[in-house]
Amino acid sequence: MIDIPETLLGLLHQYSPSGSEAAAVKWLVQRMADLQFEQSFMDEAGNAVGIKGTGPHQIILLGHIDTVKGEIPVRLEGDNLYGRGSVDAKGSLSAFVDAVASVSIHPDWQIVVIGAVDEEGDSKGARYICNRYQPEIAIIGEPSQWNRVTLGYKGSQQAVLTSRQPITHSSQGGNANDVLLGVWQGLLERVKAFNQGKTMFEQIIPTVLNMVSESNGFEMEGRLEVGTRLPISISPQVWLEEWLGELKGVEVNHQFSGIPAYQADKNSVLTRAFLGAIRQAGGKPGFVNKSGTSDINLVAPVWQCPAVAFGPGDSNLDHTPNEHISIADYGKAVLVLVSVLKNLGISS
Amino acid sequence: MKSVICLECEAEINLDAGVEKNEIIVCPDCGVDLEIVSLDPLAVELAPMEEEDWGE
Repeated sequence: MIDIPETLLGLLHQYSPSGSEAAAVKWLVQRMADLQFEQSFMDEAGNAVGIKGTGPHQIILLGHIDTVKGEIPVRLEGDNLYGRGSVDAKGSLSAFVDAVASVSIHPDWQIVVIGAVDEEGDSKGARYICNRYQPEIAIIGEPSQWNRVTLGYKGSQQAVLTSRQPITHSSQGGNANDVLLGVWQGLLERVKAFNQGKTMFEQIIPTVLNMVSESNGFEMEGRLEVGTRLPISISPQVWLEEWLGELKGVEVNHQFSGIPAYQADKNSVLTRAFLGAIRQAGGKPGFVNKSGTSDINLVAPVWQCPAVAFGPGDSNLDHTPNEHISIADYGKAVLVLVSVLKNLGISS
Repeated sequence: MKSVICLECEAEINLDAGVEKNEIIVCPDCGVDLEIVSLDPLAVELAPMEEEDWGE
């Protein structure tokens, strides 16, 4: 008989797509109170916050409580627990809560566990906390698998390319869509040359999100909505100014500021604590860099402290109808987190 | 001075006095990353490789 972790099971039963997290937050706040966190509350952004310890040094364990849409019935099949968010990222958030609940905090330290809202949207929860805390160490809850530490996430920038051309007969070609596609193809050629010989994490990865065109009988307007995953070496500003800004014959606009890529120091006190903890749990540690972005891209540059992402589960299952987590791996992730806190001198 | 032998090229690597457990050092000869997995006795293993993965 498999013993299903109560925090994880309870949180999975609270279906909470972005924008509808309140019931899950309320449940988690109560759960942390039941587990003897000294404070637990919903903050003004709607995040669930639990605090243990009153010391002057602070570590934040930042997970997210929202999921993508698509409810998956919670069920156990063998060792695998199915449910929306089991991997991305209620598994990580629950592991944070269970690990912190099981340790005694050193008087010099305070541990803050946050289940942020809207990570799958515009990261409203993480943006709210960015300037309200100043931790010395941060762990972000995202699936890395229990024996790996995520060091890097790519950056991101969306933009709209617009071309306007006088209406011509289709036999002549050269309309607004033709111009757009030609410009886009040229950009892809430049990107291909840049990417040559580079790893995925070092590459620029552009994609077309949407394409529309309209005509008033005199002029055609074509719009290409593009999203680009950016490496450390290309900031969103550089992408906008030196890549998209160089395109001829199109107008470039962006509604939202981009997010720079982030990569942690693999030799920090935090990564060392993880390597030791994973080995102590019987694992062979690994590092991973990811093609997506997460809340670490937002908070780490502000907090300027050692920060990595960690959590149980296979991120290939993120956002899929097959999302599930191994209960055994969940247990190992909790053990690793307990050891990390001990290795850092935060708990006894 | 403490030293370890590189697992990749067998070079002798001298360590700083303040070397820490789970610290990653770089072999000056072949450039491989090594992790200090034990201080007493002194032991190294190949440091984790950086893999790449999908993830939002």
